[in-house]
Amino acid sequence: MKQTCAAVFGYNSYSKEVIKNIKDNYDNIGIFVLSDEELVLAHHDGLMAEKFDLSDDWKSIEERFDVEALVVFCTLKDDAQNVFLIISLRSIFDKLSIVALAQNNESMLKVKSAGANKVMPILQIAASVIGDILVKPIVTSVLHDVLYEDSDLSIMEMIVSSSSALCGTHLYDTHFKRDFDVVLLAIVDHEMGATFSFASHGHNHHIDTGDVLVAIGYKEKLEHLKRYAQGEIS
Amino acid sequence: MVAAAFFLHAYQPYQKLKTFFYNFLENPHYQYKKYFDFFMMGLIFLSVYILIYSVKNELSNQWLVFNNYAISLIFLTEYFLRIWIYSDNSKIIIDQYEHDLFMHRSFSSTVALKAIIKQKIKFMTSPMAIVDVLAIMPFFHEFRIFRIFVLFRVLKLFRYAKSLRRLISILSSKKFEILTLAVFAAIMIMISSVLIYVMEANNLESKINTLPDALYWSVVTIFTVGYGDIVPVTSEGRAVAMLIIVSGIAVISVATSIVVSAFTEKLDEIKTERLIDEVSRLERFYLICGYSALTHEVIRKLHKRDLPIVVLEKDLALVAVARAQGFLALEYDSASLETYHTVKIHFEKQVEAIILLHESDVLNIYAALTIRELTKTIPLFSILHSIENRKKLTLAGIHSIVNTHELVGLMSKIISSQPVAFDVMHALRSEETPTVIDEVRLDIGMEEKFYELLHEPLFYKRLSVLGIYKFSTQAFLFNPSQLEGIEVGDVAIIVANRSLINEFRTKLHRRVRR
Repeated sequence: MKQTCAAVFGYNSYSKEVIKNIKDNYDNIGIFVLSDEELVLAHHDGLMAEKFDLSDDWKSIEERFDVEALVVFCTLKDDAQNVFLIISLRSIFDKLSIVALAQNNESMLKVKSAGANKVMPILQIAASVIGDILVKPIVTSVLHDVLYEDSDLSIMEMIVSSSSALCGTHLYDTHFKRDFDVVLLAIVDHEMGATFSFASHGHNHHIDTGDVLVAIGYKEKLEHLKRYAQGEIS
Repeated sequence: MVAAAFFLHAYQPYQKLKTFFYNFLENPHYQYKKYFDFFMMGLIFLSVYILIYSVKNELSNQWLVFNNYAISLIFLTEYFLRIWIYSDNSKIIIDQYEHDLFMHRSFSSTVALKAIIKQKIKFMTSPMAIVDVLAIMPFFHEFRIFRIFVLFRVLKLFRYAKSLRRLISILSSKKFEILTLAVFAAIMIMISSVLIYVMEANNLESKINTLPDALYWSVVTIFTVGYGDIVPVTSEGRAVAMLIIVSGIAVISVATSIVVSAFTEKLDEIKTERLIDEVSRLERFYLICGYSALTHEVIRKLHKRDLPIVVLEKDLALVAVARAQGFLALEYDSASLETYHTVKIHFEKQVEAIILLHESDVLNIYAALTIRELTKTIPLFSILHSIENRKKLTLAGIHSIVNTHELVGLMSKIISSQPVAFDVMHALRSEETPTVIDEVRLDIGMEEKFYELLHEPLFYKRLSVLGIYKFSTQAFLFNPSQLEGIEVGDVAIIVANRSLINEFRTKLHRRVRR
């Protein structure tokens, strides 16, 4: 189910950046804070925030959001509180999509164990980017543009529908680079599990309905492939 | 005289020659000095070997000439060169001239000459210069006594062997304690020598008949050697012996503790010196300023590059943590110019890039400005803690700035819109899966072979060229066709299995060589 609403827990410098970047992707964003200080800060920035505590009372969440269409961003400053928040949410909502921050690798493991679907370990992200800039400056710059900047190149994931010409074929039957001017990076083959595998891995996947293709290319070319994958064009 | 001084001071060949000899003889960081030091040490050992060999063997004439004249002449030349480079005579004359001019006095050549002589005498009376002179003495080998002066050449080793120089400097830090102990030992030896002589000299059975016998016995006993060739026979003499044995133990213990404490006190200094030497020997390295948890992670990431990493951190506790992790960390303030003079980092030659990872933007900016005073060209990277300081870091000359808040924000954006794509990109960048994204730099000759190799069955469809980064236009050419030419210096960005990329690189190089 497409996620249409988001709840951000915490209001600090990281939360602000998260809210700034996700606000266009969701119809409804709620901010939940632990302290009065954060509440005042959010109001000062023109945002509506609600107070919450770490007890098991999540009525306000259930009342305000359709939990199946909800993504939760846990960005509390304190890792221990963040882990407690995640485990509390997971104990009530087992299908909730949870994205969480972790200060380091050690916290990342705890956050994962607590039930977060995706974890952003701050230290490792920074170290990884610094290392990449130094070791692979061109790759880093290109990927940064593709992922985060409004450049012509973009990355897109698309679901293969039953009416698509791709359905029932093998991965190597289609020459994505030549025919669509895109580079196919990965495929989520539902026959082989929920996780992705790289297109260059050498396995000639059988493409079925519901498989997800991840490709890089110019936006219009990606849109063209997306329509092809969804069976809108042949 | 003044004109000659001005001429020499401005005469480049003369100044260059003097600088060359200074570096060769005195500058420990001059790359060729070690060869000179090894050569001189070789001469010293050869000289001692010849002396030992000549005790029971006849030396050929050539060897005698070599030992007595050639080596001595080399040492004499070195001695004169050292006198020459010790002070700058032309500068002394010019300074004196300008001083007299300023004071409206006529130039006093006597004062200038006195200053020059004073400087040279200062050198000639230094312990090492005296050793230099003694090492030349075997030149006058006709005087038998001068032959043993060959042994003084061994003392010259202190000039060339750094560890011996360090030993002397460590012991000289305890000069007062050593002197006190020496005086105490001398007094004890004197008293016991006289006492034992008085007690034993008139006894017929005793071997201590003269004062030198008594002195010899005292020295052998106080330093706890006790050969036993001479022993006291009277009860009084034995009492003196007991007294001197107890004193001897005290002397040895105090001497040992002085040496041990001197080494302990200088241990950190020695370690730092050794680390500085290690850094100066590195051909190329990354310099990280500031040690924190982030530094640890960055080093882990950069270790894959096989390029050494040097950390500068002024907090001793953090330096200890870094060293415990096996990192090359120096306890120096990265924001101080003094640091770079002491550590003697050659930025252009040695440093690949500098990464500022202090836990405060203020410190990173301060360190960046210090570094920019020394070098304008080194790539400078920094972590940014507070977004509002971004412009300040840019103004401080930092090339690339990384802010964790912005990164988290951007990642949230992609996670919320394209979660699978995020996972794919994260896996590619993390290098934790066999498939990676990498750069292949295209050298001369590769432009023709590149596409040819891509179509081989091993690589076809398994090695995906994302694009070519054009060196000439600094633009990224996505999904290039074979018609779009590749030039030398361009970089191909490839997604494939790591081993396959390595194989592709190897084959490409091989094809070009062929």
